[in-house]
Amino acid sequence: MFDFLIHVLIMCCLYSMLALSLNLQVGFGGLMNFGQIALFGCGAYGAALAYKYDLGFASGILIAVGLSAFVSWAFAGIGRNLQSDYWGIATLALAEVVRIIVTNEGWLTGGAQGISGIKPLLPELSGRSQQLGNLAICGAVLLVALLACMRLTRSRYGLGLKLMREEPQLAQSVGYDIMSLKRGCMIFSGFIAAAAGFIFAHYITFVGPDQMFSSETFLIWAMIVIGGLGNHFGAVFGAFLLQFIFAFIPFVKDMLGLPTEFVAAMRLVLIGGGLIGFILWRRTGLFPEKVGGRADG
Amino acid sequence: MIEVQGVRAGYGDGPDILNGINLVADAGKIVTILGPNGCGKSTLLKCIAGFVRPRAGDVRMSGTAVTNLKAHEKVRSHGVGFVPQTDNVFSSMSVTENIMLGARFVARAEREQRFEALLTQYPALAAKRNRKASALSGGERQLLSLARALIAKPRILLLDEPSAGLSPRMMHEVFEAISEIRAREGICILMVEQNAFEALHISDTAYVLSLGDVAMQGRASDLLADPAMRSLYLGGDAPH
Ligand SMILES: Nc1ncnc2c1ncn2[C@@H]1O[C@H](COP(=O)(O)OP(=O)(O)O)[C@@H](O)[C@H]1O
Ligand SMILES: [Mg+2]
Repeated sequence: MFDFLIHVLIMCCLYSMLALSLNLQVGFGGLMNFGQIALFGCGAYGAALAYKYDLGFASGILIAVGLSAFVSWAFAGIGRNLQSDYWGIATLALAEVVRIIVTNEGWLTGGAQGISGIKPLLPELSGRSQQLGNLAICGAVLLVALLACMRLTRSRYGLGLKLMREEPQLAQSVGYDIMSLKRGCMIFSGFIAAAAGFIFAHYITFVGPDQMFSSETFLIWAMIVIGGLGNHFGAVFGAFLLQFIFAFIPFVKDMLGLPTEFVAAMRLVLIGGGLIGFILWRRTGLFPEKVGGRADG
Repeated sequence: MIEVQGVRAGYGDGPDILNGINLVADAGKIVTILGPNGCGKSTLLKCIAGFVRPRAGDVRMSGTAVTNLKAHEKVRSHGVGFVPQTDNVFSSMSVTENIMLGARFVARAEREQRFEALLTQYPALAAKRNRKASALSGGERQLLSLARALIAKPRILLLDEPSAGLSPRMMHEVFEAISEIRAREGICILMVEQNAFEALHISDTAYVLSLGDVAMQGRASDLLADPAMRSLYLGGDAPH
């Protein structure tokens, strides 16, 4: 049970990073990204490719950073004149394109089988101490990501993001370059999502295209909508809440003697129901955005 | 100050909304663009401001070609202030914050001074300086948007229907504010208006657009006296 709890906490930390990253785009910048999971994939495949071609840990980080910067830049650039809802659809399509490329370019990515046997983060440790070490790493990276996000959104740049979300045309009229705000926001948050993917790959020791289905993106969306768009703690809380609920669904199933399909079905019901419920009845999520910013920038 | 030569423009893959517009607006003057709904007035203003890129033709400011500059670049390099037709304030921010956002490129010392001067000029805003912009009336929002543009010391002011949806009293106040700006700051003001009669009274010259072409142009006083203009756009016999 204790080991299981550690595993759940590790997943909570990784999803928190994904949620923080998506919240920066959606909650602060108003960028309706439905392709978030592709950025996670960049980090995961950075780790996997470095392992497959025996390039070492540091090169893995470089590949992850490079891939995520490139994909984020592409996200920011596609349909640069599209309105936000159409842009959202384009991001969904782009994420699918990334997944399909990964599935089909088997010579490079291992195709549908993926790449397995990736080295753990702390190979010299084993068993419980290794798990605790993993948790410590995840917690530390999450903390760094959280502090970086808080710092960013309190800065002039963060104010620019909020203005872009509220009135993009007006933001340009007071001299903000919307395109560079958008690009910067995508690339910065892309790094956080890629960090989650990179650690995940080393933790699970396997990477495959099935980890990049768009349903994962909607799970992250549910986390930030429930937690509260535009609030960093809300995003982290939403991630922990959903991960804990998901972790305990199997126990509920066993207790009530329900069939195995119950677990998968319940996950979908919770994601969909949570999204709809909060959008209809509590727009601000559990932790509403703190309004008011510095306007002297 | 502003010269528009043969500008054609449209949206996306759509047809041309403007079919070759020529227009001149000088410093210290108010130039008004009139015309029926949907004839392309806002599109022309957005072309000049840099939100819509012309498909052909040239836009010059102070003699320099700025046709392909983006909106945010023109703000800094040519002192363009733009007050859009709708969504012209940041509603979740206070009146003070809204005005100060316009002052991003103004020296810190001068900022406060200009801010106080603007509040003295617009007592309606001074009274609500700590309120959120969403709590303002339509007329107060127009003034706020104007103040936000003015704190930046613009050399060119582009106003899209500053009197839209205002009560007659508020409309007078806004027009008065605009002609005061010309007198005080001597800048080039180009505005789009629906209320042709009132707008012509404070303007120096005017252009009447019709389906993307300039149908009439001239001195505001001449247009006010023009019988064709009277029957088409000023609603027959004008008040006054
Ligand atoms: N963002 C846009 N995308 C596509 N068409 C537009 C857009 N904005 C305006 N139009 C079209 O351009 C034409 C002129 O619009 P506009 O310049 O706003 O007219 P006006 O300001 O004179 O009322 C209209 O037919 C309108 O439907
Ligand atoms: Mg208009």
